[in-house]
Amino acid sequence: MGWGIDEYILEMLNVSKSFAGVQALKDVTIRCRPGQVHGLVGENGAGKSTLMKILAGAYLADAGEIIYKGEVREQMSAGEIIDSGISIIYQELALVPQMSVAENIFLGREPQRALGILDLKSLHERAANLTERLGITMDTRTPVSELTVAQRQLVEIAKALSQNADLIVMDEPSAILAGSELDQLFRIIASLVEQGVTIIYISHRLDEVFRIADEVTVLKDGELVDTRPIEQLDRPALVELMVGRPLDEIFPQTDHEQGDLVLIAENISTDTILEGASLELYAGEILGIAGMVGSGRTELARALFGADPLTSGTITLVGAKGASWNNPAQAIESGLALVPEDRKSHGLFTSLSVRVNLTLPILSRLTRFGILQAQAEDEIVADAKERLSIVMASADQEAQYLSGGNQQKVVLAKWLETNPVVVILDEPTRGVDVGAKFEIYKLMRQLNDRGIAIVMISSELPEVIGMSDRILVMNAGRIVGEVPKAGATEAGIIELATMADAMASAS
Amino acid sequence: MSLAKPYDGAAIANRWRMRKFIADYGVYLALLALLLAATVLTPKLYDVNTIAVVMRQASQLGIVAIGQTMILLVAGLDLSVGGIFLMTSIVVADVTNGRDDLVIPAILISLALGALVGLGNGALVTKRRVPPFVATLGMLVLVKGATQAYTKGVPGGFVPDILGIVNQSWFVLSIPLALWLGLNAFFIFVLRRTSYGRKVYAVGSNSEAARLSGISVDAIRISVYVLGSCLAVVSGVVLTGYVGYVDRFIGTGLELDSIAAAIVGGTAFVGGRGGLLGTIAGVLIIQLLSTMALLMGLDIEVQFIIKGLVILGAVTLYSLASVEE
Repeated sequence: MGWGIDEYILEMLNVSKSFAGVQALKDVTIRCRPGQVHGLVGENGAGKSTLMKILAGAYLADAGEIIYKGEVREQMSAGEIIDSGISIIYQELALVPQMSVAENIFLGREPQRALGILDLKSLHERAANLTERLGITMDTRTPVSELTVAQRQLVEIAKALSQNADLIVMDEPSAILAGSELDQLFRIIASLVEQGVTIIYISHRLDEVFRIADEVTVLKDGELVDTRPIEQLDRPALVELMVGRPLDEIFPQTDHEQGDLVLIAENISTDTILEGASLELYAGEILGIAGMVGSGRTELARALFGADPLTSGTITLVGAKGASWNNPAQAIESGLALVPEDRKSHGLFTSLSVRVNLTLPILSRLTRFGILQAQAEDEIVADAKERLSIVMASADQEAQYLSGGNQQKVVLAKWLETNPVVVILDEPTRGVDVGAKFEIYKLMRQLNDRGIAIVMISSELPEVIGMSDRILVMNAGRIVGEVPKAGATEAGIIELATMADAMASAS
Repeated sequence: MSLAKPYDGAAIANRWRMRKFIADYGVYLALLALLLAATVLTPKLYDVNTIAVVMRQASQLGIVAIGQTMILLVAGLDLSVGGIFLMTSIVVADVTNGRDDLVIPAILISLALGALVGLGNGALVTKRRVPPFVATLGMLVLVKGATQAYTKGVPGGFVPDILGIVNQSWFVLSIPLALWLGLNAFFIFVLRRTSYGRKVYAVGSNSEAARLSGISVDAIRISVYVLGSCLAVVSGVVLTGYVGYVDRFIGTGLELDSIAAAIVGGTAFVGGRGGLLGTIAGVLIIQLLSTMALLMGLDIEVQFIIKGLVILGAVTLYSLASVEE
């Protein structure tokens, strides 16, 4: 091998990639030293995942060069890339749930005897060796479906090791982990690095990056901002690199007073992880909901909106429209709106026009005897376009051809037309560019000024802290604490969100 | 999905226009090409009587295809229409036993039974979450079996003479054609300009988003299956008049032809995209292919091969025109 310790194990030089006219990566360069943890940070949509998918061979770069172990990499299939020693562990773990730990680790590469008969003994021995190397004990015969998410992630890491990976990319591994599991992951990363493995660690939790990374590369809007040794950075400096402006200029502030009580949820549970959640919501406020992925945040939003039927508890809307509801149709009638987390699968009708998307919840207002009144509809569409500055070629354009930010604006606009009193926003800025993000923040404040109460769920703690008036923290399906705006810190929220392992296992 | 500035709106808009053009007009270009090819291959096609026959047969297929298109729009599929043809034909013959004055009651009974079949399809697909392919295939077998059990394998009764009117044409106009055009006009209006139509598209495009927008997704789905079955009954009455007697194998293959017509016409198999204007062209293409093959004296196997190639070609073109992300 022609590369030494002082050189880079991986260099991706001037990589560009665009999708259907949208530039996802522009001239990005990243260099990783062997046996180090290289942090890759940036907001959603900054291009981190695209860059890593190019590395994995899932996408082909439009331009640029990849030099791996000192050699320019020719175009390779995903399988050849894995054989060359690069493994990527995606956020959505790619395991076969019905198969055992060992079978998953060696999927497609099972040790065989003559005639293609599986060598089960060797399979489990080798799998056990790998889990030992990771310092974990796990019965390799257990079906993956019985493992916790954290354990599944370890299986993925074992799988990467079994492929003799020299470079492991971890795409937001911490998003699904709680406190002690995270510690375990960090221990494993440290021991892998000791064994000479290089790690690219993608995260937008900055504390973690400071804890384990040796060097950090920051991407923003598909472009490289900088690569720096971690010692040269502190938190505010890193945030400024990521966002492109100082923290206090990002979130528009208002100084409104807390309004009247509009909604009370008492002890609500659904057939999901959500258990016994209670909250009060006041007019004109933003109630932030923080918690790990899978902590029940989205389930809380769905329960409030009647999307999942309640198995216990009550939700009451206070005031003139005072009503209760059992399904989304009734909730909308009562003045609720939900902008779901997963825009593509729950919020947007990608194959339908912007016009159709905008008017669906208010069709009854736009029809006479079931027949659409074209003029009334045109007015709504023009109004929405104006109010949210939606960029589109025509209202008859299919929603899938809009940018992420404009798609999100369409979903938001659709709900504003219903004149809601409570708006639930689940990850309102996920996958939108920074410019659209600020517009969404401004819009939220405008809604507050009109007295609309907002429930905002977000994985981005700076956003939760910056925008919320109060913050509820969820953990294992329960609301475990309330943090007032003053004095809210990321560390404090994460502690609440992860500490209660005991509570999680008790439920 | 990763998105970053600069967002090139113009390029994307152009792409969208290109896709929309192919989706909206591509099938008509194909129809035109077929008609031009016919001037060389089968000039006999351009005869008033032949065209009248083609239009009557196209209408019969086209009426089922309206329902099939709407079912495809809600991401469904209806294989049971073949059973409905047989059932309609047997009910008509059995109830009227050749008497013209009982045609209306016979049709009403057929519609009621058809609606029940559609309700069954819809209930299985929505309430029991049975995949449409399986639910309607089961219904096809059930309905065919039930009708055959009822007739004990020997269909009785006579088709009333008055139904023979579907075989008459005045120039190229005929009752089936009028029905087909009228139903198309009505349902195109429904799909485009009513809230019901919007909801049909919404349910097919993204059923969870539709539910979260306050739409009763199940009710829309069931209603579309019921409509589809009723339209199959109408088509079945026309077919019964055309055949003139009860045939155990009546309408065999029409379920697939109606799906093919909708798909060739640009309606997406996954729902939420397409419409009846495309299906009209799709129906004409399928029907012309059959007629031209017949005029050229091609074997039935060759006809199938040509039809298959046309369907695959159309689907390939549409997939090329659609852009992922």
